[in-house]
Formats: sequence, C-alpha cells, structure tokens
Amino acid sequence: MKLLDKYVRFLRGVSVNKIGMAGVVLTTSSFVTFIILELARLVGVFTNSYAGLVVYLLFPSLFIIGLVLIPIGWYLRKKRTGKSGRELLEESFADPERRSGFFGSTVFRTIIIFTLINITFMTMAGSRMLNFMDTPRFCGTACHSVMNPEWVTYQDSPHARVACVECHVGEGVGALIDSKINGTWQMISITFDLLERPIPTPVHQLRPARETCEKCHWPDKFYGSRLKTIVRYENDSASTPAYTTLNLKVDAGKVRPEGGIHWHIAAQNEVRYASVNDEREIMIWVDQKMPDGTFKRYVNQALDHRESEEDDTRVLDCVDCHNRATHIYEDPHDAVNESIRLGQLDKKLPFLKREAVSAITQNYADSVAALNGIENQFTGFYRLNYPELARTENAAINDAVETLRSIYYRNIHHGMNITWGTYESHIGHRYGTKSGCFRCHNSDMVDSEGEAISPDCTMCHSILAYDYAEPFGYIQPADTTDPEYRMQQYLRDEFLEFIRE
Amino acid sequence: MIVQKIIFITIILALTFSGAVAQDGDAAGKCMTCHKEKSPGLYQQWYNSQHAVHKVTCIDCHRAEKGDKDGYMHYGARIATLVTPKDCGACHQKEMTEVDNSYHATAGLILESNDAYLAHAAAGEPVAILGCESCHGSKVKIDPNSPNMLSPKSWPNSGIGRLNPDGSKGSCNACHTRHAFSKAQARQPEACSKCHLGPDHPQKEVYEESKHGNTYYTNIDKMNLDSDSWVVGKDYYVAPTCATCHMSEAPGLALTHDVGSRISWTLRPPVSTHKENWQTKRDNMKQVCVNCHGQPFADGHYYQFDATVHLYNDRFAKPAGEIMKIINDKKLQEHPADFANDIDWIYWELWHHEGRRARHGAAMMGPDYTWWHGFYEVAKHFYLEFIPEARKFNDPDVNEYIDNLVDNDPMHSWINKQTGAIKESIRSGEMQKMFQKYYNMK
Repeated sequence: MKLLDKYVRFLRGVSVNKIGMAGVVLTTSSFVTFIILELARLVGVFTNSYAGLVVYLLFPSLFIIGLVLIPIGWYLRKKRTGKSGRELLEESFADPERRSGFFGSTVFRTIIIFTLINITFMTMAGSRMLNFMDTPRFCGTACHSVMNPEWVTYQDSPHARVACVECHVGEGVGALIDSKINGTWQMISITFDLLERPIPTPVHQLRPARETCEKCHWPDKFYGSRLKTIVRYENDSASTPAYTTLNLKVDAGKVRPEGGIHWHIAAQNEVRYASVNDEREIMIWVDQKMPDGTFKRYVNQALDHRESEEDDTRVLDCVDCHNRATHIYEDPHDAVNESIRLGQLDKKLPFLKREAVSAITQNYADSVAALNGIENQFTGFYRLNYPELARTENAAINDAVETLRSIYYRNIHHGMNITWGTYESHIGHRYGTKSGCFRCHNSDMVDSEGEAISPDCTMCHSILAYDYAEPFGYIQPADTTDPEYRMQQYLRDEFLEFIRE
Repeated sequence: MIVQKIIFITIILALTFSGAVAQDGDAAGKCMTCHKEKSPGLYQQWYNSQHAVHKVTCIDCHRAEKGDKDGYMHYGARIATLVTPKDCGACHQKEMTEVDNSYHATAGLILESNDAYLAHAAAGEPVAILGCESCHGSKVKIDPNSPNMLSPKSWPNSGIGRLNPDGSKGSCNACHTRHAFSKAQARQPEACSKCHLGPDHPQKEVYEESKHGNTYYTNIDKMNLDSDSWVVGKDYYVAPTCATCHMSEAPGLALTHDVGSRISWTLRPPVSTHKENWQTKRDNMKQVCVNCHGQPFADGHYYQFDATVHLYNDRFAKPAGEIMKIINDKKLQEHPADFANDIDWIYWELWHHEGRRARHGAAMMGPDYTWWHGFYEVAKHFYLEFIPEARKFNDPDVNEYIDNLVDNDPMHSWINKQTGAIKESIRSGEMQKMFQKYYNMK
C-alpha cells in the first residue's frame, strides 16, 4: 500500500499539466495493456490475425510517445512559469521525498527505478517488435493493399513455411539496416502513392539467389531425373484428359558428366547474359564459359540494333528460371486443370473445362463484379443449354462456382492491376516459342558460326506421353496405326537409352 | 502402387525388347517431337490428314539429298523447306506428269507478260512479288545466308507455276493447301478462287452467280467431298464445282491434273481462239455435262457461248486491236512507254478486264457477268472512251478506220440511227439477223 501511494504521488508530481498528464496516462495504460495482451496472446485467448500488429507495434509506440510527452510537459511548464527546476520540484513533491538519502532522494530513486523499468521494457518490446517485423504476417499484412497479392500466393506456395525475410532480407546488421531503409522508402511510396501497379518485375535488388536458395537447395542435390505428369483437359463436352509425362533431366552433372537442366548452375559452369531493358525476357546475348575459362557468345539475331543496347550483364542463377518459386500466379487453364484433377470441379458437367476457363477469364471491372460475373457466366451456360441438368446438378454447379471464385481471388488482384498473365513463370516454356527456356534456347541465338543454342526437346526431358490418352503412354510398344507411332517409338527408345546409361 | 508396379514392369520389359530401331524412324519421330509443340497447327493438320494415315511423315517430303541446292542441316537431318512437284511425284507420279504438261505449270513464266511489265513499271518489285508471283509462282532463288537457304524474296511462295531450284515447275500446295493436303479442300471452289477472281478473271464470282454455284452452296453438305472415289453422278450429284468440270472423274472420263484438257476456247488473249485439239477437249467437257444435262442442253450451251465469243471477237476485239496497231505503229502517243498514255489503259481494261469478264460470264453461265459486268462495260468504254480517245490523235489513218467502221459495219452503224428505228428493227427481228452468222461458226 505504501508503495502504491508513493507511486501515485510520484505520478501526480510528474503530471504537471495536461501534456504531462496525457503522457503519464498513455505510458501507463499502454504498458498495462501490452502486458495483459501479451499474456492473453501467450495463453491463446487473443488470437486475432492482427494481434502482432497491435501488441508489438501499436502499444510500444504509444508507450514511447507517452514517455516523450512527460519531459515536454515539464519543459513547457518551466518555460511558462519562469521558475527554476528546483522551485518546480519543490512545488510538485513534498519535502520528505526530496530529502537526500544514501541513494539520493526518494524522487531521484523513483526516477532511476522507473527509467530502468522503461529501458528494460523498451528493449524487450523493441526486440519483440523487430522479431515481429521479421514474421511473414507483418510483411504480408502491414501494407495490406500492396502486399496482399504476394501474401496470398505465398501462403499457397511450396515456401509457405519459409519466412519472407529469409529470402528478402538476409542475415547481419547490414542486411537489417538495408531492409529498414528500404522499408521506410516503401512506407513513403505507399503514403504518397508513388508505387507502380502492378509492381514491376524482376525485382533487381533481390538478394543473390545462390546465397538464399542454396541454403536449402544446393547444386549437389540436383541429380538424376524427375518424373512429372501434367494433365490437360480438352474443351470438348467430356473434358477429355490429355496427359503429358516428362522425365525431367534435372542433373547438375553429378550422375552424367554432361549434366542436365541444372548444368547451368553447376560449380564448374557459368552462364551470363544481357537482356533488353534488363527485363530478362528478350536476350541480347548469352555467354557460356568454356573449359579454358574463355566465354563463347551467342547473339540474338532477331534483335535490331536499337533494341540491343545492353545495360547490365547478369550471371545466371536460380531466379532466372525459377522466377516464380514462391509468388506463383497460375495460368487460368492450369488452375482449372488442377481443380478438375483434384475433383474440386465435377467433370460430369458438360463442357466443364471450357466453361470454367471462360468464367474466370472474362474482364470483370472489380472483385465484386467478378463474384457475380463468375456465377452468372457459369450457371447461365447450364441454365440456357442444359436446363434439366442445371436443376439436378445444382449442387455440383454451385460448388464449381465457389472453386472458380477461389481460383479467381488467389490470382486476380484488381487493386494492384494484376490479371491473368501479369507475372509469367519462366519454368518450362508454356507461353510460346520465346518463353521460359526458349528465351535462350531458340534458333535466333547463334554463335559466330551461326550455330544456335540447342532447343532439342530430349536434351532436357524424355517425353513419355505428350497430350496422350494416358500417362506414361509411350512406354508401351507403339501402336503402328497411330500416325504418331514413329514419334512414340523414338521417344520410348530415347528414354530407355537415357535410363540405361 | 499398382500403377507404379505396372510401369516398372513395363520399363523392364521395354528395356529387354528394345533392340534395333530404324534410323529413319528416329528422324521422323524427332521432327514430330518438336513440331508438335512448336507448330501445333501444322502438326494437327498433318495428324488428321491422309498422309498421316498412310504413314507419310515430315521427313518423307522434306528430306534433301547431299548436293540439293536448297538442302540444309536441321538438328541432324538434311532437309529442304521447299517441297516441289518432284518430291510429291515420288508417290504421285501420274499427277506430277499431268501438272507438268498443263497450262498451270507455265504460269511462272509471267515475267515475259504485259501484266508483269505493268506491275514492275507502275508499282514495283515488292508488289510484283506479292501481287503477281503469289499466284503465278516465283523463280525460287537460293540464298546461303537465309536459315532455310531460300531467298526471302521467293519464299514464302506457293504460286502454281513456281520455278523450283530442282528444275520442276509448280507447287502442289497451290491447290492442296498444306499441311492437310486435303482432297476435299481441293475439290471446293475456294481452292481455285485464291487466284481465279477479281476484275480480270472473275471465275469465282461467275461460278457463285451461276446455277452451278447456287446449288453447290445450298447443298454443300451433300457433296460427299471426302470420298476417295468422286465421280459425278455416282458419288455425288447435287452440284459441280470447278474441279468437277475441269479435272475430276466422270463416267467414261478419267481424272486429270491437266486443267486445260476440257477447255476448247482460250478466253485469255485480246482475241479468243480455239485451242489445239479443241474438239476433243470440248467432247471431254460435254462428257461431264451429260451426267446432269441432256445432250441438247450441253450442245445448246455451246451454241450460245460460241456465238457470244465470235461476236466479241468481231465486234470489239478485232477493231480495237487494229486501231491500237495503227496508233502504236505510227507512234502517235505522247509518251513512248507502254501504259504511259490514257489510251493504253483504256485498251488494256477493254480486253483484259471487261472483255474477259464478258467471255467468262458467257462460258460459265453467269448472266450478270456476261452483260452488266461484261459486254455492257465493253460497249460503254469502246464507244464512249476508246473511240473518242483514238480520234483525239486526229490521225488520218485512225480516223479513216473508225469512219469506215461506223459507216459500213452494220454492228456499229446504230450510233447514227434514230432510237425509234433501232427499236423497230429489234422488234421485227431485223437487227438480230446480222448475228446469225455467229451461231455454228467454226
């Protein structure tokens, strides 16, 4: 009781005017609230998704603001009254509290104790704050409107359990300071709306991929090959599946000396290039390091002189191909194919594939329009053309609409002008003959002899089915009545030759 | 698990039995592997074609031999982009020979013609390439710096008389559009109408106007176009297409790729003439007609058609030609170059555009092309443009010729008579008498 009295008296003493009082109230209340919320959060009572933002950012900030207000109040009072500090102290505190003891006066001791408490609290809260700022939730939700697309795709990605800062910030004080300076600039650009929508890619100041990615994925790990089957559903009434099975030769040179796809990043190899506007889309030239240390250059013949002014040379690393390792925006056809495969879209609906893609690829003005538009487009088709089915399969149609909306919302972000195809993946070559691998592996990229970088299909993958009725279809002896049988035979032999080696 | 086991067992089996593989099969398979992705349209055209059914693959047509001027290495195979009638003829020998002997095959020799002169002089080489040579065929030039060895000035080109580096003439895909090479497609009028249309030879438009075209477009689904056997009256009967009359099989008449073998008149030059062996050729054509028409119908058509052509020759073609000859011989024009003077263009359009339209309309039973697009325009420009333009030279020989024509030729003297009198002579049948000689004229 005596202690509390003393504390109350001290607080009254520092609350010399309205500003001082506000400071005291702010500091005390935010301190108490912080402790209560943190306890609540620790025992699992407080689970709001913005808990971190409130606990680690709002209250410590209020606490510090309150602390700053107290001396400001004191200073203003001093200035207004024109009295000295001693006189003011005398006014605020009773004589016994000012009496000097072994450890100074009671007021002095109280100030020391409070300051120690404050410093301890601020250090703890500050470190919690920094820690919190390192969590994906902070990156993903603090600047909600801008980061939401990246946050949504990140949560759905293979790296969902790797924190943003693991790849985007890095380790050490230098990286921390860099990221805080960068973050400050980002706050300014959001406040004054200086950012581009969509955010342009590639992000040039990303940390070196070999430093970040190779913490978990290092070249020695890329060996042998990997089987992958892709299913595509046709636009016909039955949404007939067509399978492509690839045996991807991902070796970095460990199993076979010539290597496979990861030859590009094997320790002994180096590939560097210059691209138009440093966009990494259209190559100006590509250099390949030869065994003697010299570089062999392939030049893009399709570029005219004006386009081919180079700015920057870049050494090829992970992100030149894996440019969408985490923030993966889907292709509408792929997304629908995958949902059909998983049974989220019911194939008994006629023309399911065609209509599903059609519903999510219309130009909707905003997300509310899309919400209604997807439903109208999709259910409308069945009501109009299959009225009986629209009644009997109402549930399947409604489920499909929900699935399609979910595909739409995880890929299309009107606020950031992100639509289908805004951020294309460079993996593979699904966007045409100059996309992905074919950015370099195409007949326009030729060396001084006119020899092109090989776009040979089986160099990177054996093909065990290509838009075929069943996965692994080419492994069986080819049916000679199929027009493609020679291709099937050739690909089967190629694969068998490959795995025999 | 079961699936994996099956796959594993299949792999083992496949490994055991995969022995020798034909090298050629390898190349064919390799072509398809890439082109299925990189040129999916082309690939699917082929995949659904008769070539695919008969196991004819990319390399079978595109294979080049060492020493071929247009051959080049393409991922380990020596190929040529250009597929010539010689290549097609490896399997389609009879067709190749027929085409080689046809008038179509000579279309690439166009550079010697007035048409090409006009395109080069009045427009320019790029126009001649895209305008003239696209139909007629280019002289394909080799360019070692080009990725496919072909000069971009002569490739792409699928003109029907293309002059190929291997010495062959023509391009089969002028009609059998690649890469489906569908016979159904070549049997339809659209195959011909890439070239046979427009102001100077509107065969497509005449056909569309004619009863033949009417009934074809009405009954296109009954044409049995995909059938291997396509004999008129047997495999289909609703309508003839260009191919039916000019090429396809009819009872008693063999299929031919020599398109001229049933044509008795040449309607191309200023003055029409009968072709060599024209009676045989006409009999061939009538052999087609009679599957749907009675003999008197077929004979009657030629009776009317012949008279129209003779009339055209006598009334317009020959006099206009004579007048131009005097003008050219005496060098009366202001500018020395052909087509640098008004009268050159007027005369050109008179026979090359309007005159041909009139005759083609008559040949293929297109009434509007015979008269309004044809003779009507011929007469209007003959009397109101050509004659006045010729008189402008005020040359005694020209004037004498024209005066004589108007004063003494009953076909031209109408212009100095009263309308009433002319109408009366039409009603009485008097006027028609002067044309009697054109019927059954040889």
